[in-house]
Amino acid sequence: MTTTLNELRTDALREIGNIGLGGAVTALSDLTGVLFTLDTPRIHPMNAQALPELCCAMPETLVVGTVSRVNGDWPGEGAFLFPWESAQVLWHILVQMQPSGLDDLNELYQSVINEVSNIMLGNYLQAISQMTGFTLHMEPPAFAADMAMAVLSSILVEALYGQRELLAIETAFKTPAHEFKGYFLYLPETGNLEKLFAILGI
Amino acid sequence: MGKAEVKLAGMGEIVFARGAGVLGCIGLGSCVGALLFDPRTQSAALAHVMLPEAHESDVRQLPGKYATSALPALLQMLDTPPAFASRLKAILVGGGELFQNRSQTLRIGERNVETIQRLLRELRIGVVFEHTRGNFGRSFEFDVASGLIRVRAMGNTSAEKDLSAALGILRRAA
Repeated sequence: MTTTLNELRTDALREIGNIGLGGAVTALSDLTGVLFTLDTPRIHPMNAQALPELCCAMPETLVVGTVSRVNGDWPGEGAFLFPWESAQVLWHILVQMQPSGLDDLNELYQSVINEVSNIMLGNYLQAISQMTGFTLHMEPPAFAADMAMAVLSSILVEALYGQRELLAIETAFKTPAHEFKGYFLYLPETGNLEKLFAILGI
Repeated sequence: MGKAEVKLAGMGEIVFARGAGVLGCIGLGSCVGALLFDPRTQSAALAHVMLPEAHESDVRQLPGKYATSALPALLQMLDTPPAFASRLKAILVGGGELFQNRSQTLRIGERNVETIQRLLRELRIGVVFEHTRGNFGRSFEFDVASGLIRVRAMGNTSAEKDLSAALGILRRAA
C-alpha cells in the first residue's frame, strides 16, 4: 500500500516526532541532570539510498546503538545511535566510569545504553499514545557496538524485511554542556500510516 | 602500482571491474558482499546483498538487493551462462549478527550467507575467500589487478590475503 505524504501529513509527522522526542529528551535530562536540545525531526522515505546524516558522513566510525521492536497500532523499529565519544559522555554522567575500548564494553555499560534507550523510546511512544489513542508496546532493546554503517544497515534491513520502503522519522539531540550527539530513528511500517492520518483527520 | 579506481557497492548495488580497479563495500552488517571473479577475462562483479530471497517488486531496479536475484545478475554481468559458471571464483564477506540479544530475530545475516552458499554450490562455483558470520561488521576492498583482499573490522578481526594464485590472476611483467 502506498501512502501519499503531502506537506500537511509530513508536518503532522514532524510535529508528532517533536512532541514524542520532546518527552524522550526531557526524560533523558531528568535522568542525567543535563539539559538536552532537539534538532527538528527530518521525515523522509527510508531506503538504501537515503541514509541518516551520521552514516553518510562517517560510515566506519565506531558507534553504540540499540534497536527495539514496537508492536501495536503503529508498529515499527525504534533505534538510537551514539558515536563512541557521545556514549562515553553518557557513561561518565550515569555511572562515573567509561570503557577504555570495545574490549572493555561489559554488560554494565551495555545496560546503561539500553536503559537510556528504554526510557527515551518509552516516553516517545507514550507521547504518541496520548495524542492518538494508539496502543503501543515496545520490546526490550538489543545492543550493538560497531561501525555506524554496519549497525544502521542491520537495523534497516530487518525493518525493510517484507517491505519495499520505510518512512524514517530522524532526529538528533545535543547538549551544550558536553561534546555529545545522539541520533534517534523511528522506522514505522508505512502500511499503518493511514490509521494515524485517519485519527488526526488529515 | 598506480592508483586504481575504487568502486564501492552501496546497499543493493552491483559494481564491475575488468583487469584493474578496486571493488568493495563499506560497513557490512547483516548484508553480504558477494564477489564473482572470472579468471578467463580477469573481471570481477560485486553485489551488496541485503536480503536472502526476492519477494518484492523492486527486483528489476535493484537485482543486487536479494541473494536469489544477485547471483544471476552477477553471471550476466560477467557474460557467463550458468552452465559455464564453474569457471568463476567467489569471495564472500559479511553476514554478521550485530545485535545479539534481540528477542525475535530474523537471522538475516546467517540466512544471507546460507542462501548465497547454496546458490554457489548449485552453480558449482568455488569460494576462494570467506570472512562471514560472527557478531561484527566489516568493510572490504578487493584489488582486481593484484588479487589482494583487505577486510577491516572493529577490534582485531581484520584480515588481508593475496588471492592471485587462487583466482588465476595473470602476473603482468613489471
